[in-house]
Amino acid sequence: MPEKPRIGVYVCHCGLNIAGVVDVKKVAQDAKSLPCVVMSKDYRYLCSVPGQDLIKKDIKEHKINRVVVAACTPNMHEATFRKVLEESGVNPYLLEIANIREHCSWVHRNEPRKATKKSIELTTMAVAKARSLEPLAIKEVDALKSVLVIGGGITGINAAIDLAEMGFQVYLVERNESIGGRMSQLDKTFPTLDCSTCVLGPKMVEVYRHPNIKILSYSEVVGLEGYVGNFKVQVLKKPRYVIEEKCTGCGECSNVCPIEVPNYWNMNMGVRKCISIPFEHAVPLIYRIDIDNCIKCYKCVDACGARQAILFDQEPETVELNVGAIVVAIGFDPYDPAKDEQYGYGIYPNAITGLEMERLLSAAGPTGGVINRPSDLKEPKRIAFIQCVGSRNLKRNPYCSRVCCMYSIKHARQLKEKHPDMEVAIYYMDIRAFGKGYEEFYEKAGREYKVQFIRGRVSEITEDPKTHNLIVHAEDTFLGRPMELEYDMVVLAIGLEPHSTTDKIQEILKIARSPDKFLQEAHPKLRPVDTLAVGIYIAGACQGPKDIPDSVAQAKAAASSVATLLHKGKIRIESIIASVIEDACTGCGKCLKVCPFQAISIDQTRNVATILEAKCNGCGSCAATCPVGAMQLCHYKDEQILAMIENALPSGAKEE
Amino acid sequence: MAELRYAFFLGCTIPYRVTSYEVSARKVAAKLGIELVEMQDFNCCGLPIDPISHDAMLLLAARNLCLAEQQNLNITTLCTGCAITLRKVNRTLKENKELKETVNKHLKEVGMEFKGTIEVKHFAHVLAEDYGIEKIKQHVKKPLAQLQVSEHAGCHFLRPIEYAGFDNPEDPTVLKGLIEATGAKYFDYMDKTNCCGFTIIAIDDEISLQLTGSKLSNMHDAGAQAVVTVCPSCFLMFDVQQPRIEKVFGKTFSMPVLHYTQLLGLAMGMSAHELELDTHRVAATNMLSKIG
Amino acid sequence: MGAEQGTELKIKETIRSSRLDRNFPKEVMKSHGGEKLLLCYLCGSCAGGCPVGRLTTSYNPRQIVRMASLGLKDEVLRNNSLWFCTACFTCTDRCPQGLEVASIIRVIRNIAAEEGIVPQVFKELGSNILETGLAYKIPELRLKKREEQKLPPLPPSDTKAVDKLLEASGFLKLIKEQPKKEA
Repeated sequence: MPEKPRIGVYVCHCGLNIAGVVDVKKVAQDAKSLPCVVMSKDYRYLCSVPGQDLIKKDIKEHKINRVVVAACTPNMHEATFRKVLEESGVNPYLLEIANIREHCSWVHRNEPRKATKKSIELTTMAVAKARSLEPLAIKEVDALKSVLVIGGGITGINAAIDLAEMGFQVYLVERNESIGGRMSQLDKTFPTLDCSTCVLGPKMVEVYRHPNIKILSYSEVVGLEGYVGNFKVQVLKKPRYVIEEKCTGCGECSNVCPIEVPNYWNMNMGVRKCISIPFEHAVPLIYRIDIDNCIKCYKCVDACGARQAILFDQEPETVELNVGAIVVAIGFDPYDPAKDEQYGYGIYPNAITGLEMERLLSAAGPTGGVINRPSDLKEPKRIAFIQCVGSRNLKRNPYCSRVCCMYSIKHARQLKEKHPDMEVAIYYMDIRAFGKGYEEFYEKAGREYKVQFIRGRVSEITEDPKTHNLIVHAEDTFLGRPMELEYDMVVLAIGLEPHSTTDKIQEILKIARSPDKFLQEAHPKLRPVDTLAVGIYIAGACQGPKDIPDSVAQAKAAASSVATLLHKGKIRIESIIASVIEDACTGCGKCLKVCPFQAISIDQTRNVATILEAKCNGCGSCAATCPVGAMQLCHYKDEQILAMIENALPSGAKEE
Repeated sequence: MAELRYAFFLGCTIPYRVTSYEVSARKVAAKLGIELVEMQDFNCCGLPIDPISHDAMLLLAARNLCLAEQQNLNITTLCTGCAITLRKVNRTLKENKELKETVNKHLKEVGMEFKGTIEVKHFAHVLAEDYGIEKIKQHVKKPLAQLQVSEHAGCHFLRPIEYAGFDNPEDPTVLKGLIEATGAKYFDYMDKTNCCGFTIIAIDDEISLQLTGSKLSNMHDAGAQAVVTVCPSCFLMFDVQQPRIEKVFGKTFSMPVLHYTQLLGLAMGMSAHELELDTHRVAATNMLSKIG
Repeated sequence: MGAEQGTELKIKETIRSSRLDRNFPKEVMKSHGGEKLLLCYLCGSCAGGCPVGRLTTSYNPRQIVRMASLGLKDEVLRNNSLWFCTACFTCTDRCPQGLEVASIIRVIRNIAAEEGIVPQVFKELGSNILETGLAYKIPELRLKKREEQKLPPLPPSDTKAVDKLLEASGFLKLIKEQPKKEA
């Protein structure tokens, strides 16, 4: 026998946010006369500890079994008040919130009388719904203590290590042959000028050796099914034409290979053999054949000999991983300045990008750390850095890419260190040196290294066709005069863009993008590594341009969030889900077609729809689609909504 | 492609001082089969007085657009200034409802209404896009293989990219294609997309002469034997002002200046005289001797 | 000459609130083409690529935009260099904030014209248009020569219509007015 509703109504002042416009005492008073209301009070800050305690006390003393809170948006405190009910032994879904702040006091500031009337109406509607609310089941599912980390750069590596140390089984999927990501392409890192490989290398080895981490390199995520705690991920292992288990990484094959192909790791400025590893300290150390350029001379097979690691008809393999949560750490791509012809990239040989300069400076790079300019391989005596290429530009990317000021200053200092007589200039609009030690790093560039800073965004770069020297056209805005200074080489400080695979990952995981096209966090301030998809987290540059310290911080944050979610081995699933009135269901299947979460199936024997509760997100699409009203959304059933509508206007209401 | 009939907008500068451009254009158009229909009682496009009153320019330009709409023909013109002005106003009035209403209010008083039914294209744009480089090549009887030619596209041919739109102002290729279609060798030079300065010649002629002069100097250094223009005003700077520029720079350029239609006409087998090449200030005799 | 000297002295003074006309930027932004004036973040891309700016220190498009944004109305309107822009639109193409820099300069020129500042050449071009419908008065000889050149006769403009339109736009008084006295 369903219990008789005993409703407690609580109207919040919210300081002056609500009470400054709405007569909250009147609202509380008015609610007293509504059917089933046994208590109606107003209070200054209901969300505060004494506010919550007040509700708890009333529930206990007056046997209240349904609560209506007239206050701010449910987005703020629905969870808070649900907990209050739960801790008082009442089903947390017997709560209804009337939003009399965002929907009332904040938007009708100049009409207090009408706002009060509206608040009374909203509260009445909420009470009407509360009368017909039903307790909802609180269910848990088992959660796997395993995690998928997509992306093996510094972010993915750190997330994987932290999770593995906590005892989770980690699968690290990396689409390139080796983990290490963009950080492996760096020579030195700002502001300490640590050698990047020296810092990254040990971490890469740690990942490789950790018993709880399985690396799937040269692999890509191609499909996702399931739900939080129980994801099924399809991963495609691309063929290396080398058998992983048999390759010892000796490199004999590479030595005899006659074919050279461009090496993407060196920004295509250097070559690698057709069978090779991308760089010396690659992890895992397994060779790969660039099959499109292979001439099948079989010299590698001979050199490999008894190991027999080469397999020309290796097929791609799809494996399925079962994981409880997913961390996306797919990183970024550099902006391509070819579309800005006024800078001449791709037209003038001596205009290069910041990432290309990084490779030139690197001892493991295509020139062994010697700076040569492309047109004549001579050492440049005058170099200009052009900031904000592709960034802070409403016609390109409107955002600031955050790291370019620092990496150009780093390059400038490195160049001056090796060649004190070199003329190095940085053309900028603003220098952003925001991090710990960054301002000091920038200041030293000018004071000690005599790097020249010219404030003016470069308008265009022209070339002397005979010498291939470049002329930088910019205004020195502090002087107020346009300048056309000649340089031997120009470095375009390109910005960061979301990695090219972001579209695909977004589609597979069904996560959102921000307006700047990076992956979107659940809340910009309070939930920087969560997404709105439960169980899926983002970290690192895929969420927005950032440097290594911030990427590592986000990696650790994501690992911690995953642990919070999975550590109990059980996850509470959404209680507000669809429910089928089986007698009314005709088995037409329309609901199935509109469900974005594949949570509905038709039971063939009984010809009725059934809900896979763990997958249902409570979106309500099915309930709206059902032509006969057999599909209902718990907590938003037809009679509940209709009750609200019927009570929206008091009977006998007339225009004022 | 629709039949090649256009309302021919002459503008002010050509009938005033640069009839050689008109003569060569009409002859070339006739041979190619492009019909240029006269626009009766057209007026100045308005660009010269835009710095004083944008509203006046809008009305003057809009009136010309209405004339062409009445003829139900797209407009083509030989002057890049007229082209960009009419094009800009055409698009602006099509997209900005408020402005269109204001303009139409005034046009009503002279019995006209802007409807937004036609397009505007510079003649070189018509040749490159509507007519087609391949078809042009078919008319070339005397390929100018011995000629080394540079281009001065001019500001209003290339910019602003939003309204001009059919070539890349940072790396232009349209005129290059048109020049190479005549068989001539295309010569690149530094700062080729720079302004000639004609618009401010009455404000500060020194600046204008410097602007055109450095271009002449650069193309001369690059080895060009002639320069092609597609605007009568640019033409005046390069040709009529060349002796003055030579004095200021202390150099001899002797760089003949051709309208594109004259270059094409030569390649199609017409004589220098019928193309009025001999009316130019800078003699083209040396250049002509190279092509026989 | 004396008036110009007076202007020079004013420009070298410290800029105080009393010299700023807060309505001026709004006036510019209300005009077609001037809407984005306050988006300028002073990067200097316009000045860096300006063909005139590289030849004369007195012309700098970024400074003109800055003066207008701040509200230095007098300075910018009475600045001779305001008329140096050739409208080549390089600045507009290069601006990362999408400002139509050349159009902003044109708007400021229009405002200057309303205050009676019109260089002589525009008065001449303007009166030609009023008289003949074209910017130049074409001599009879040239018109007759068209017959020899086998060119169709030049159709006379509908000057009545042209004049009516020019009057409606307020153009007539702009080319006839004398400059207002110095502020």
